[in-house]
Formats: sequence, structure tokens, C-alpha cells
Amino acid sequence: MKVLVVEDEQALRESVVTYLQQEGYICESATDLREARIKAADFTYECLIVDLTLPGGNGLEVVKLVKENNPETGIIIISAKNALDDKLTGLEMGADDYLTKPFHLSELNARLKSVIRRRNFNGRKTVRAGRLEVFTDSAEVMVDDRKLPLTKKEYFLLLYFLSNRNRVLTKDSIAEHLWGDHMDGLDSLDFIYTHIKNLRRKLLDSCGEDYIQTVYGLGYKFSC
Amino acid sequence: MRILTQTSLYYLLVSVVVFLLGSLLFYKHLQTEIYDEVDDQLFTDKENIIQYIREHNRLPNVTSGISEAILVREAQHSSLKLEELGDTLIFSSYDEEYIPFRRLTFTAFQDNKPYEYTILKSLTDFQDLFESTMMAMGWIFLMLLVGLVFVNYFINKFTWRHFYETLHMIKQYSLTRYSPLQLKHSSTTEFQELNTVLQAMTDKIYSDYLNLKEFTENASHEIQTPLAIVSNKLELFMQSDNLTPPQARMLEEMAASVSRLARLNRSLILLTRIENREFQEQEQVPLHLLLQEQLEQLQEMVELMGLRIEMPEELEPVWWVMNRGLAEVLVSNLLLNAIRHNHEGGTISIHLTKSQLRIINTGAALHNSPEELLGRYISSSQVSGSLGIGLALVKKICDLHQIKLTYSYADQQHHLLLTFTQSRPVS
Repeated sequence: MKVLVVEDEQALRESVVTYLQQEGYICESATDLREARIKAADFTYECLIVDLTLPGGNGLEVVKLVKENNPETGIIIISAKNALDDKLTGLEMGADDYLTKPFHLSELNARLKSVIRRRNFNGRKTVRAGRLEVFTDSAEVMVDDRKLPLTKKEYFLLLYFLSNRNRVLTKDSIAEHLWGDHMDGLDSLDFIYTHIKNLRRKLLDSCGEDYIQTVYGLGYKFSC
Repeated sequence: MRILTQTSLYYLLVSVVVFLLGSLLFYKHLQTEIYDEVDDQLFTDKENIIQYIREHNRLPNVTSGISEAILVREAQHSSLKLEELGDTLIFSSYDEEYIPFRRLTFTAFQDNKPYEYTILKSLTDFQDLFESTMMAMGWIFLMLLVGLVFVNYFINKFTWRHFYETLHMIKQYSLTRYSPLQLKHSSTTEFQELNTVLQAMTDKIYSDYLNLKEFTENASHEIQTPLAIVSNKLELFMQSDNLTPPQARMLEEMAASVSRLARLNRSLILLTRIENREFQEQEQVPLHLLLQEQLEQLQEMVELMGLRIEMPEELEPVWWVMNRGLAEVLVSNLLLNAIRHNHEGGTISIHLTKSQLRIINTGAALHNSPEELLGRYISSSQVSGSLGIGLALVKKICDLHQIKLTYSYADQQHHLLLTFTQSRPVS
């Protein structure tokens, strides 16, 4: 799967590219508007990750160009500006998602997978992991064709884990993924622990396997 | 006291002093003149009488009238008055009052026999003249005074008008209205100078203010990218296989701090944006639904702390005209605040009416005063890590929507009351 990352900040671009390459994506990158235009015109990408403030112009131009050339491409906008109108314009132009800097790489990865799942009209919109199968359309989780009853939060937590398999996820990034800005100022992250404990127990009960490991000092990791 | 009243009063004071002094001098002067005149007449009479006696060797006829009288009597050699001038009062039976007279007493000799003559001259005429003159003077002075005060008042009012305009403009001026001060040109040099100085000063303050605001805005935005880099590199770092437990712990703490910084920065940007009035779109926001929605989001935290929510099953439907996004921030911050400053097993009660939202939660008293509590960067020391920016956001959002926010603490409960004062009808 090919992804184009358009970001002028070198360090940031490298981080994103490294993370996505480790996830198995073929990653191309562009540093300015001109390069982005050329690459977007010459190749077809599964998804475009684009920063809005670029040397040489607004990233929205790339969004427009990609939408015209290849409407199937998923688009995720990343921006330092939290400006609502930018977000609206971007989404109106056909961008699929919008992330504000700073963001967690695991969050970007989860969004990217979600966009590709949604864009992948012909394929099955399911995520498989071991004996688990997640149907993202109906938000259901099956274990060997048996339905696994999960709460809404547990479902999103599982999907987040599955998107970032074999990755260490910090409590912070999990909390932000599940509650967004609502965890502002709440430093007690104990309630995440409760959710993880419950999800872990349910998975253990139904599959007999403990997928979620505690990584000492850092957070959690889903491996299978 | 207004400057016009003040100058008029000073004017009046000085005029009264000048008037009194002038009158006194005038009175003295007039009196001296009149006495001179009368005394001259008396001496002339005396000369005439002595002349008459010398020429005719007999005493002249004496007269006695209301304005003038000459009295004569034989005098003793032992008590001769050569010449004596003085004032006297004589009772007039007709007027039934004392009338002032000037009197000259002298001795004349006829055949070596002394006679004492007394010439009296009434001062009434002079007195009348004097009085009417003084009266006229008084009237003239009074009219002059009133005229001057009036003229002075109106001239001052006219010349000071630019000053009052400037004053009015400065009173109305507000930095947050984002328009430089525009003062009218004045033909008075001093006022024009004042205007120029004021204009230069406010322009400077205004541009400093804009710069500062721009700086805050830019700084917050520029910080986002480095923050993103640090946060992402840390995340990549965490994926390393051979981290020792202490290293992992350090990494986690770094990541947590960066996250916190990012959230703080985001809140600051939001505050700045509210101040910049970037949230102009307003709509009818269903507060009852918003409360329920946000409570649901915070359910886990409520359960974790074992809090009891006291709220009617069905909230009364209430719509407030607000910006939708800001309304969400407002409600979620209020609820978060009620959770954060609570103790385990405490309660939160929510009351919603057409124009009021009251949130009461149990919790320890704060060290800060209510005014401080709503300030921008105050954070309570009791709850470590609280950003203290939540309530500042609440305050800003309330200000923007003309919602009155009052805080009080009683019976170990925090009361936050929001009163919707917007005049627009809420249907």
C-alpha cells in the first residue's frame, strides 16, 4: 500500500515515514507544494497525508489536485492550525480526516487504517487478528463466529490496539484516542486501567489467549 | 468640580474682593471730598461773618433752617473757642430722626465783646448723593459681574469643547475593540498637543497590544510543530526492544509531560481564539442534551471516583443561543471541574432552568478567592497536575455569550451558577 506524506518539517516527516514503513506501508514523501504536485500527478496512492502550511502554498491545493486525479485516494490533513474553517474546507474538499499537531503516531496510524478500510469498497471491511475478527461496519467482534460482547469504549480500545499491533501504546495516547479533549487536566489515568483490565479479561475468557501485555513503565502492547 | 464651575467660582471670588475693596476706597474718597467741600463752605461763612462785623460793627442776622443754621451767643472770656470743627447729630422733629450736620464753632469780637458763633451745615444732601452713587455703582458692578461670569462660562465652554470630546473618546476607548483611537482636530494649540500626545500614546499601546497578541498566537502555533516532533520521536523511541525499566519509565514521564504541554497549548490557543472572536456563529444549543451527552462521556471518571450524580431523570428542555463548539467546551469543563475538585464518594448535583444552570459539587474549600479562581493561570495546589485553565476558559466563554458566572462555597460544597442574560428571546 502506497502512502504519500507531504510535510515540510524534516524531523516530523521522518518520524511519520519511519512509523508507517514499520507498519508495512510503502512510503513516499514530499517537502513542498511543487514536489507534492508532481508526485501526486505521477503516481497513484492509497492515501495522502498532507500538512496544510507548506512552503510555496497551501496544502489544500494538493488535496484538490488528488481529488481531481484520483478520487479513490484517502486523504488525511495534519495541521498546526486548529482553525475550524481550515478543517471544514478540508473536509468539504473531500479529505477524510483531520489531525491537529501534535499527534500520536499511533493515532495517525489508526486513522490511516480506518480511512483505507472505508475507501476499500471492494474488499472486506474487517480486521483479523488471531481468532478475532472485527467487523468495522457493524462494530462487532467475533471470536470463531461467536459474538464477543463489548462495550463501546472497549470496542474502540480493541480496534486501536489492532491498528497498532505489536506497538507500545502509552496510557496518554489511549486516553486521548478514547476521550479526546475530555481528559484535559485529568492526570489520573486509572480509569484506562479499568477498561484494559476488562477487555483483557473478556479476550482471555473467549479466546483463552492474553493478547494485551503490560510494558513496564511505558504502557500496553497488543501482540498476536 | 468641573473646570468651568471652578473658574467661574474663582472669577466670582476675585470680583467680590475687588468690589468690596473698590467700594471702600470709593467711599473714603467721596467722604473726604464731601467734607472738604462742606468745610470750605463753613470757613467762607465764617470769613463773611467776621467781615460783616468789621464793616458794619454790628452782628449779622442769623438764620436757622433745615440745611443750614448759624447760632450765636455771648461767650465768656474764660472759655473762648478760637475755631473748632466737628460732626454732630441733630434731632429733626419733622423727620423723627437724627440728621448729620457739620459744625464750625468760632469766636468773633464786636466792641471787644466775644460772641461764639456756631455754623451748622446739613450733610443730608451729600449723604443722599453718596448713597445713590454707591447704589448705582453696586448695580453696575453686579451687572458687570453676572455678565462676566456668563461670558466667561460660555467662552470657556466653547474653547474647552475639544477637550471634552477627547475626554469622551478616551472614556469610550477599549483595546479589545480593535480600532485605533480617532481624535478630532482642535484649533486650540494645547488641546491639539494633548490630542497628538494621546494619539501617539494609544497608537503605541495598541500596536504593542496587537504585537503581543500576535506573538502569543504565533508562539502557540509555532510550538505545535516542535511538540509534534518531540512527541513522535519519543513514540518511535518507545518501540525499541532493549529498553531497561528505568529508561522506559523516563520515556513514559517525558511522553506524559509532552502530552500535557500539548494540551495546555491547545487550551491557550482556544483562549486566544475566543478573545479574537473567531467563534461568531451562534445557534440554539440544547443544553439539556449537551449535559447528558457530556456526562455520558465522563461516566468512567464518575464511576471511578464513586460519585453520585443528582440530576432529574428528564432534564427540562432548555435552549441557549451559543456557539455549538464553545458550548460543548463550557459544559465539559464545568463537569470536569466538578469531578476533579470532588472527593471520593462525593456528589454532583445539576439544576437546569430556562435561564440558569447550577452545578453543585462536594469538595474541600479552595485557598484562592473566587475572583482568582476564574483568572487565567491559577491552579489549585490541592489537585496536582490540574491545568487551572479550565475555569478560565469557562469564564471567557461565559463573557462571550453574556452569561453571568458566580461562584460560592458553602457547607463544603462548591456552587457554580451560570445565568443566561442574553436579551434575545430563547424559544
